[in-house]
Amino acid sequence: MWAILPIVGLLIGLVIGGFISIEVPAAYVKYFSIAILAALDSVFGGIRSTMEDRFDSTKMISGFFVNALAAALLAYLGDRLAIDLYMAAVFAFGVRLFDNIARIRHLLIDKWRNRS
Amino acid sequence: MKRSQGFTLCLSLTAVLICLGVLLSVQFKSMDTKERSLYVQRPENLIAMIRDLTDKRQKLNLEVNDLSRQLITHQDDTQDDQALFQSLSAELNKLDIVNGSKPVRGPGLEITFQPYSSLFYGDISKVVNELWAAGAEAIAIGGQRITADAYIFYEKENDAVHITVNNIRIPYPLIINAIGNANNLEKGLTLPGGIIDNLAYFKTYPRLEKKEDLEIPAVSSVPYFYFMKEYVPPATDPTPAPSADKS
Repeated sequence: MWAILPIVGLLIGLVIGGFISIEVPAAYVKYFSIAILAALDSVFGGIRSTMEDRFDSTKMISGFFVNALAAALLAYLGDRLAIDLYMAAVFAFGVRLFDNIARIRHLLIDKWRNRS
Repeated sequence: MKRSQGFTLCLSLTAVLICLGVLLSVQFKSMDTKERSLYVQRPENLIAMIRDLTDKRQKLNLEVNDLSRQLITHQDDTQDDQALFQSLSAELNKLDIVNGSKPVRGPGLEITFQPYSSLFYGDISKVVNELWAAGAEAIAIGGQRITADAYIFYEKENDAVHITVNNIRIPYPLIINAIGNANNLEKGLTLPGGIIDNLAYFKTYPRLEKKEDLEIPAVSSVPYFYFMKEYVPPATDPTPAPSADKS
């Protein structure tokens, strides 16, 4: 029953973001996108840990913000240093994201099988 | 216990997801803007865009040329119209002055006949003729403008004879004003054996006075032509019409 709340939260967030007239400057869109990737990874990680019954909200929330900031900062630093750290972040978070999604899928399938 | 823990989990997840939602939509908007910015366009697209814009600019240039040409023609038209209007109004003004539709002023000669001078209307006619001949540009007798159709005659009342101009009685002292070169006008009248000499026989001595500024009024009634029409010479037809009405 509570499961619907996060989805509602996501929608609320999208609407809020749609209404506030903040736009990321074109030069920083890249860093912002990597931050979002990190945030997505944290969210999927959170979902997965919830399903695995080892969810820690502090860890997840801190992970959400710290990962996002760190990813953005590293990407920025990489650009300053002429190293594509951006790619490293994309790779790391991408792999983790898919990993998390795969785990979630597995867990859901297991759950569904156990129920039937 | 388990339930409330699940609730807090959901709550924190919700909070995080709200943040994520905000981030996502902001990013979508930003990407939208960025995609539209030229910064990130592919060179091929940029080339195509430049070509498009160049074409458009050429078209607009052509349009500008066309429109400015139109503007110039319109201006010319109005200028022509204005020039035509000006020349026409100048012409009209001239005709008004010549026909006496407008009062005029200028230097000239003033001829005054004292009362009881033995004056015949023919004398006035002669004076006027002499003045025209001497180059008068406008003449008025007793305030009556002498135009092409003016007539000088006389009117008898009891024993007195009055000079009339256009059937209007001219009171004494009878004053003839003529605009023109005053010296010429005077000489025209005072030629030996001229009209003044002639009048002297009849003990009539008009006073001639050169004036710097004479005013001659307009005609009292503008002539209207009922019968007169402009003569248009018949166009010479190169192919003579067959004479069908030979009865």
